[in-house]
Amino acid sequence: MIRDELARLIKDGYNALGELEFVESSNGYFLYHSADRDSLHEARVYHAIEDARQIAKYDSFGAYRPLKGAPNLPRGWLIQLSNIDGLQRALDFFYPGAIGTWLALRSGTARPVCLRQTLNRQTGMYRVTRGLSADQARNLVTEACRSDGACLRTILWGIEENESPDFLPSSKSDLTVDQTGQRRAALPFICLEACNLLVAAARTTMKKSSR
Amino acid sequence: MPHDKKSALILVGHGSTLNPDSSAPTFQHADEIVRRALFAEVHCSFWKEEPSLREVLRMVDADDIYVVPNFISEGYFTETVIPRELELVGPVTHRFGKIINYCEPVGNDPRMADLLLHRARQVAPNVSPKETSLLIVGHGTSLNEKSAEAAQSQVRAIRERGSYAEVSEAYMEEAPLIADWRKNTSQPNVVVVPFFIADGLHSYQDIPVLLGIESEPTAAASQQEVFRRNPYYLDGRALYYASAVGTEPLMADVILDTIDRFDRKHLSGSAA
Repeated sequence: MIRDELARLIKDGYNALGELEFVESSNGYFLYHSADRDSLHEARVYHAIEDARQIAKYDSFGAYRPLKGAPNLPRGWLIQLSNIDGLQRALDFFYPGAIGTWLALRSGTARPVCLRQTLNRQTGMYRVTRGLSADQARNLVTEACRSDGACLRTILWGIEENESPDFLPSSKSDLTVDQTGQRRAALPFICLEACNLLVAAARTTMKKSSR
Repeated sequence: MPHDKKSALILVGHGSTLNPDSSAPTFQHADEIVRRALFAEVHCSFWKEEPSLREVLRMVDADDIYVVPNFISEGYFTETVIPRELELVGPVTHRFGKIINYCEPVGNDPRMADLLLHRARQVAPNVSPKETSLLIVGHGTSLNEKSAEAAQSQVRAIRERGSYAEVSEAYMEEAPLIADWRKNTSQPNVVVVPFFIADGLHSYQDIPVLLGIESEPTAAASQQEVFRRNPYYLDGRALYYASAVGTEPLMADVILDTIDRFDRKHLSGSAA
């Protein structure tokens, strides 16, 4: 089960994911923003798993966070979770599917899907993205997915079938690199396929280029 | 219930990259079902939010999975987008040793008529239904006739009960239009219930303007205010405006009913 594997990874020393850190406590787990590591005594304490969803919803300015991988989680909170099941569910509210996706890749039940395949699948208002050129795609992904300000996920897909994301800085597709730049023992936070926000951005690119 | 506590439920919503309230009802109903401890796992997934439909199956440990679209009608999302993104082959899909049971959208459930009536009574508790026109408003679109059909089916069911003097439907984008409510309703009281899954730009802004209770779209910070000013007195009539039926807490029961109907239709005669 996913939670058993998560517990095993924590025992092995992994204690971070994206902007989060988590530690085992005497009665469960503590989950907090890694930048608050040295000031947890000042953090507001939460106990409900669902509080994670609410914290992840807005940034520190109160703006909605539709992209959960964006490096703008608010700070100043600490969630006390009573067991590994609670930690797993809370992590899934912050970074939906991150643990399951990493485990699926590791076990070989999931693999990266190239951007072209994602775009060629689109219908309706997003069908237009099928015409995105490779150059447009590379420029778009480089800007819209960059770790410093856009998204902390490690990209494992290329633009075309069987291509690697070699147009990105090598660190952006390296599973061993902590995308926050902190060199923590972080669980890989991977992107196996372009998200809907990127597809929507591709649509915007196509609309602009057709004017 | 026919399903046991070893199954997983995935509730699929539209979600939004702009409106933080769009996914709230889907999460609200999921939380209620978690509280009832009927499933081993309950997940939400969205077209426009995370986890995406491409990611959500990787979050599931259970081998038996029910996917319930939290959508008001059959249409593009339930017939094209969700099956494509989840790689479904029909109502029942076998993959990686798991069984994925794809249910109908919640809006198809016969109990939706009860919820619409419940919402109508809540918003106008002191008015006599015999002196009231109940107006069920839907999106309606020329792109998909099923959008209006779903609302029409609920209107017929409510009309047959005979509790309201008049029951009609109206749409944003096709006739009968919401903007024509004055001529299409006859009673001194008019209760308007949006047949929508979530409160969003349509119920906060577009419909109030079409009804004439707002002159221009309301500011984001005061959007909920539109439901607190009831009744609105317009042209000698009292108009009561309810929030979207999909925000009703009883929707959790509709979701569970939807799964029961799936089991009766597709699993009858099996061990389930």
